[in-house]
Amino acid sequence: MLRGFLILMCFLLLGESISFLLALPVNGGVVGMLLLTLWLMINGDVSADLVSASQKLISVLVFLIMPGVVGVFFLADEFTSQWLPVIVALLLGTLLSVLTTFLLMRSLGNDKTESRHHD
Amino acid sequence: MTELPQPFPALLLQLMETPLLAITLSLAAYFAGRTLFRWLKQPLWCPVALLSASLLAATLALLSISYEDYRREAEWLTLLLGPATVALAVPLYQQLHHIRSAWRQILITLPVAASCAALYAVLLAIWLGASADVVASLAPKSVTAPIAIGIVDQLGGSVAMMMGGLLITGVVSVLFVELLAPRLNIRDERIIGFVLGINGHAIGTVRAFEISQLAGAFASLGMSLTGVFTAIWLPLVWTLLAF
Repeated sequence: MLRGFLILMCFLLLGESISFLLALPVNGGVVGMLLLTLWLMINGDVSADLVSASQKLISVLVFLIMPGVVGVFFLADEFTSQWLPVIVALLLGTLLSVLTTFLLMRSLGNDKTESRHHD
Repeated sequence: MTELPQPFPALLLQLMETPLLAITLSLAAYFAGRTLFRWLKQPLWCPVALLSASLLAATLALLSISYEDYRREAEWLTLLLGPATVALAVPLYQQLHHIRSAWRQILITLPVAASCAALYAVLLAIWLGASADVVASLAPKSVTAPIAIGIVDQLGGSVAMMMGGLLITGVVSVLFVELLAPRLNIRDERIIGFVLGINGHAIGTVRAFEISQLAGAFASLGMSLTGVFTAIWLPLVWTLLAF
């Protein structure tokens, strides 16, 4: 499991380095994730160590984001005074985007034979 | 309320010198939140993260620990988000074979849908006169939390505000998907799962796994691809438009 953790840390550092050197506005962790995905696709296989380290980290994700979520309860007044645009943007924005995605996927058609073939 | 004995504030100050107390409180709140979640029969409108966080916020207020102090000491957890983000590559790789069964729809839908998820909210917020940092905090609202934190850092928004937006978005997208799918006559579980993952990140994905394994697989695929796609194009567009 620690071996898997080492692989994750190496890809994270690699991602951070690339993001820094190329001055990408993209988070180093995301670059590391993309590189690891690419690496796994090239390799065509994922080691048991890496699977176990990843599963353990992902299973505690809710715990890891807690410091950020707690902040919701301590939001500064400058933010809470803008609750109306925030709520409208979130509710209406999400409704519109769910609707758009559904309509787009429906209009692209649904190849039933293909899905049966693969399932 | 009875007055606290004099040594207590001094002790609290001492304990907040190291991350020990902050980590212990976080762990305790996490498990208490999970128990409460099961006890409430796993409500969809109130995810574990929100339950645990409200318990932790109440504890901090009770002990009169400021959020800034807590956040500084709990930095350790945030650091672990780095490898956890990289770890998302493994489930993404394992779901990639699903792309083959519907690659055409996925390839066309994903960029459009992931852009819409951010753009509608950004445009509405700007139109209603929200400030630049609020707009930046709302932009990654459909992206899974670890990736969204990285995006907000790049855009210069508030992580706390973004987390609030993320939770609300997750809950209402489940609601809207269940409201709209039957009205649009959409029954394909792959589409429903994919739409849940694109718009409702982890909360939508949890709901999709309740529908079926197939819906869940497409939801995690939609969630991962949305996260990756948004993490790349949103900061780039943001820099170009110079918000």
